[in-house]
Amino acid sequence: MHIDPAKFPCLSAILVSCAVGMLIIMLIPQERKRLMKQVSVFFSGITLLLTLYVFFAYDKGMGGLQFVENVQWIPSLGINYFNAVDGFSAPNLLLTGIVFFTGVLTMWELETRVKEYFALYFLLVTGVFGLFMSMDLFFIFVWYDVSLFPMYLLIAVWGTTRKEYGAMKLTLYLLAGSALILPAIIFLWAKSGLNTFSFVSLMQPGLFSPGAQKFAFLLLFLGFGILAGVWPLHTWSPVGHVAAPTGVSMVHAGVLMKIGAFGVIRVAIMLCPVGWIYWAQLMAVLAATGIIYGALAGLRQTDLKYVIGYSSVSHMGVVGLGLSTVTVEGLNGAVFQMFAHGVMTALLFSSVGYIYDRTHTKLIPELGGLSRIMPVASAFFIVAAFAGMGVPGLANFWGELLVFIAAFRTYPVLGVIAVLALVVTALFMLRVVQRTFYGPENERYARLPDMSLSLGIPRIILAGVLLILGLYPSFLFDVIRTASVPFMSGLLR
Amino acid sequence: MYFHSVLSPQSLVPLLIAATMPPLAAFLVIFVFMRRRPLLSAWLSIGSVAVSLVCSLVLLGLNLEMTGPIQYSVRLLASSGLDIPFGFLLDPLNLLMIVVVSAVCFLVQVYSLGYMAGDPGFSRYYSFMSLFAWAMLNLTLSPTILQLYIFWELVGLTSYLLIGFWYEKFSATQAGKKAFVMTRAGDAAFFIGFLLLFLHTGNLSITDLNSRAVSAALPPSFLTLSALLIFGGIVGKSAQFPLLTWLPDAMEGPTPVSALLHSATMVAAGVYLFARLFPFLRMSPTAMEVFLAIGTISMLLSSTMAIVSRDIKKVWAYSTISQLGFMIMALGAGGYFAGVFHLTAHAGFKSLLFLCSGVFIHRYGTNDVYELGRLGSRRMIVPTVTIILAAAALSGFPPLSGYFSKEAVMASLAELPNPAWLVAGLAGVFLTAYYSFRLIFILVLPRAANSSGKLDPAPVSHNADIGEAGHESHYWVMAWPLLILTAVTVILGFFQNPLKNFLQPGLMAGGAAEGGPFAWSHVAALGLAVAGAVLAWVEFGRSGAKQIGFVEKIPPLFRLFSERWYIDHFYGLLVNLVVDRGISYLCYQNDNKVIDRSIDELAEGTVEGGRIVAFLQSGMIQYRLLVIFAVMVLLAIYFFFPVI
Repeated sequence: MHIDPAKFPCLSAILVSCAVGMLIIMLIPQERKRLMKQVSVFFSGITLLLTLYVFFAYDKGMGGLQFVENVQWIPSLGINYFNAVDGFSAPNLLLTGIVFFTGVLTMWELETRVKEYFALYFLLVTGVFGLFMSMDLFFIFVWYDVSLFPMYLLIAVWGTTRKEYGAMKLTLYLLAGSALILPAIIFLWAKSGLNTFSFVSLMQPGLFSPGAQKFAFLLLFLGFGILAGVWPLHTWSPVGHVAAPTGVSMVHAGVLMKIGAFGVIRVAIMLCPVGWIYWAQLMAVLAATGIIYGALAGLRQTDLKYVIGYSSVSHMGVVGLGLSTVTVEGLNGAVFQMFAHGVMTALLFSSVGYIYDRTHTKLIPELGGLSRIMPVASAFFIVAAFAGMGVPGLANFWGELLVFIAAFRTYPVLGVIAVLALVVTALFMLRVVQRTFYGPENERYARLPDMSLSLGIPRIILAGVLLILGLYPSFLFDVIRTASVPFMSGLLR
Repeated sequence: MYFHSVLSPQSLVPLLIAATMPPLAAFLVIFVFMRRRPLLSAWLSIGSVAVSLVCSLVLLGLNLEMTGPIQYSVRLLASSGLDIPFGFLLDPLNLLMIVVVSAVCFLVQVYSLGYMAGDPGFSRYYSFMSLFAWAMLNLTLSPTILQLYIFWELVGLTSYLLIGFWYEKFSATQAGKKAFVMTRAGDAAFFIGFLLLFLHTGNLSITDLNSRAVSAALPPSFLTLSALLIFGGIVGKSAQFPLLTWLPDAMEGPTPVSALLHSATMVAAGVYLFARLFPFLRMSPTAMEVFLAIGTISMLLSSTMAIVSRDIKKVWAYSTISQLGFMIMALGAGGYFAGVFHLTAHAGFKSLLFLCSGVFIHRYGTNDVYELGRLGSRRMIVPTVTIILAAAALSGFPPLSGYFSKEAVMASLAELPNPAWLVAGLAGVFLTAYYSFRLIFILVLPRAANSSGKLDPAPVSHNADIGEAGHESHYWVMAWPLLILTAVTVILGFFQNPLKNFLQPGLMAGGAAEGGPFAWSHVAALGLAVAGAVLAWVEFGRSGAKQIGFVEKIPPLFRLFSERWYIDHFYGLLVNLVVDRGISYLCYQNDNKVIDRSIDELAEGTVEGGRIVAFLQSGMIQYRLLVIFAVMVLLAIYFFFPVI
C-alpha cells in the first residue's frame, strides 16, 4: 500500500510507537531481559527516526502549523485530539527523540526489574511527546500528568540517594504545579466563551481582557515554572536529579524541565501575551537570580549529580531570561538553549551514570584521577562540561549569546549579572572536572574498564549533536524563527 | 606586478580555507581515532600546520602590495534583526600575524617531536596543538568582533587544556583552571563591551568600527566605556595588571606549549586585538591613557618579579608580561607600528628563549637556573649560544631584532608630552637587560652551591626512562627549530622599513604618522640596556661574584617581588573568603536551610495536621457517641436560637 507522506500521521505514529513499545515490553516474559532491551532500542529508534523526519520535513519556508491531525474528542466540551508541529515544538520533539533513544542505550546494563523500568520509561516519554505536539489545552494538561506519575515510580524504585524522599518531593512539587495550571486552563476556557480548548481558536488576539491575561499568566507561569526550575521553586530539581536512575535523570533534566519552559511559551506566553509583557520584569529578576544563584550554590556541592542539578538551575535561568526579554532574539535564544541544555545535561548524566555504575560513588572527594583510568568516559563528561561553560563550538554558546544580546537590550543590569555568572559557572565546572578526572590515579578504581564502543554510542550521539549545533546553529535557528518571528510581529501589531 | 588588483575576495577563499582548516581536520581525526598512534598523529598535525604555513606565505606574497583590506563573509546565523556572518578579513596586520602564528606553530610542533617523545599523552598533545593552531589562525582572520571572540574563547580553552596537560599533577590542573577563570573574567568585560557596541551601532564589523564615521557618532563617554570594557579582555588574555598572575603559573604546561601559547602567540592575541581595533580605541584619549598606565604598571611589576625568580621558565614568563606591557605602552602611546613590530620580534626571540630552556629542562629535569648551571647546561652548544643571542635580543642589543623593535617603542613613548612614560619605559629597558643577563650568567658561569630555596623537579618525569641515546636524537630534532628562530631574530631587525611600509595601510586614513626617532631616547635606551647587563655582570658574571642580586640584599623588597606583590594572595582571599565561604556559602545554606527547609516544614506540617485529625478517628465507640451527642446539641442550639 502506498502511503502519501503528506497524509501519514507522523505525530500520532510517534505516540503509537512509544505506546506499542511499552505494550510489547510488558508482554515479554520477565527473564528475557536482553530481548526487552532490544525491543526498547528498536521502538525508541523508530521514534527517533520519526522525530528526525518531522524535524527535517518541517517546511521552513511555509512555517506555521504542520503535520496537523485534528479529530474531535469530546465535542460538548470542545476537546479535540489536535496535534501539530510549529517552530517551537519541532526542536523539542527532536530533543525528546534524541534523549529518549540515548537514554534507553545508556540503561543497557540495567538488571533489576528491567520490564517495569522500560515500560514506565516508555509511558513517561509518551506523555512528553504528547505534550510537545498537542495543540489542545486539555490534552496538554493530560499529557503533563501522564508524564508525571511514571516519574515517581521510576525514581522511588530504581533511584539511589534518598530516593523515596526525592521522588515524593518531585511529585508533590509537580502536582502543585498542575494545581496552578488546571484552574488557569479552566479559567481561560470559561472566559473565552468559545467552548473550545483548541489553541488556534484561543490564540485570537484580544480574546481575553488584559486583566484576565495577567491573572492567568501568573498562574501558568508559576505552574509551568516549577517544572522549568524557576528560582525559588527549583529545589525539587537537584534532589530529583540526584535520586533518579541515570536514564531517568537524562529525561528529567534533559526533557522534563523543557516541558516547563515549553509550557510557559505555548500556554502562558502565546495565550496571554499581555500578561507576559506585564510580568516580564518579574520573570527577568527570577531568571537572573536563578542564573547566578544556581552557579554559586553549585560551587559547594560535593555530589556529582547535585553539581549538575544546580548547573541546570543556572542554565534554565538563561532560558527564563531569554523569555523575559519579550524579543525575537530572546525567544530564539531561549528555545535554542532549551535544546542545547537538554542534550548537554543528558550527556553529563549519561557520563556520570557510567562512572557511578563502575565506582559506586558520585561523591567528588572519593573520585579523582579518572582520566587516566577511563579516558573516553571522562572525555565525554569534559566535553559536556565545556558546553555548559558556554565554550564556542558547542551548542550552548549560541543560545546564551542570543539570550544575552536580548537581555542587554532590555535589562542591561541583569544582563551584566548573567554574564558575570559565566565566570562562576566556569569556576565550578572546572573544579568538578579537576577533582573528578584529574589528579593522580586512584588505586581503588585502577582496574575499572573504560567505556566500550557499544556503551559509547549514546554518548557519541549526544556529543555529536552538541558539536554539530555548535558549528552550525542555523539547523535549529531556522526552524525556531518560523514560529518566533510571526508570533512577535503579530504581537507588536 | 599588480597582482592584488585582480584578486577578488572569492578567489582567495580556497587559499584561506587551505590555510585555516587543515588543523581542525587534524584535531578531529587525531582526537577521535588516533589515541594509540602517537607518531602518525604527530605527523598529521605537523603536516597540517605546514600546509597552513605554506598557504599563509603564499597569501602574504600575493598581497604584498595590497591597497585596502579584503573582506569576505557568508551568513552563519540569522535571527531577524541579528545577522551573524562568518568569513575573513585580510589586511597587512593579519597577513603578518598568520605568518607569525603558523611559523611558530610549525617550529614548536617539530620541536615537540623531541620534547614530548615517550609521553603517554603524545597524541592528545598533538590534537590540542592542532586545535590551537586552527583557533589562533581564525582569530587573526576574523572580520567581526563576535567571530574574533569565538576563537578568542577557543584559544583560551586550548590554553586550559595544554596547561593542565599533565593532569595528574595537582599544580598543573590548578594552573589551568586559574588561567581559564582569570581570562574568563577579562572576557566577560570584553563580551559586555562589544555587546554594548553592538546594541549602539548594530554592527560588529571590525573595519566599520575602525572607520571614523562610526566612532565619531558615538557619545564620547560611551566610547570610552566600551573601549575600557574591551580592554578588559586584552588585560586577561595578555596577562596585564591586575589579571597577570595566571601566566607564571601557566608554566606548569609542557615547555613547547609555553613557547607557543604563553609567549609568542596566544598571549599576544590581546595585543593583536588592540592593534586590530587601534583606530577605534584611539578615538578615546581617556581610554588610551588608561591603557598606557596599565601597560606601564604591568611592565614594571613583572620586571621586578623576573629579577628574583630562580625558575628559568618563570623568568621568561614574567618577561613575557613585561614585553606585552611594552607593546601595550607603545600602542597606547599611538605607536601602531612600534607595537606590532615589537609583537613580531618578540614572538621570535621569546619562543626561542623558551625552546632553549626546554632543551635544558628536558635534559636535566629541573627548572632551577642555578641547578641547571651547576649541572653543566653550557656544554650543550646550540641552545647555549642561541639562548645568549635571544637574551641579547630581549635586552635590546644591536643588531638583533629586539633592538630595533624596542627602539621603535621608545621612540613612540618619547612622542608623548609627559616624559614620565618614557622614563618608566627606560627603567623597564634597564630591568629587562638586568634580569636577562642575570639568568645567562648564572647559566653559563656557575658558582659553588647556592641551594637556598631549591625548586621542585620540573614536570618532565615522563622521559626519565629515556636513555642517553634517546636524548641525543631528540637533541637534534629540538636544535634545528632553535637555529631557524635565531636566524629570524638576527635578520628581522633589518626588515623594519619594508615592514613599516607594508603595515602602514592598516592604519587606515588619518592615521598618525610615526614620529621620527628621538636621538637621545635611542642612546639612553641602549645605554641603560648596557648598564643593566653590566650590573648583571658585576653581581653574577665576574669571577668572585657571589651571584646574589642587589634585591636579595633588601629582604622586604625581595619578599615583595618573589611573592608577586601579593597579588595572588589577594585573589586567593577573594575566591576563598568572598566567593567560597561568603556568597556561595550563603546561597548553599539558603537553599538548604531556608527554601528547601520551608518546603519540608510545609510537608511535615501537613503530615502532622493529618496526624492530629487522625487522632479523632480512634475507632472507640464512646468517643463517637460523644461526638454525635455534641454535634446534636450544637445543631439544636443553632436551630432553636437562629440569632446566634
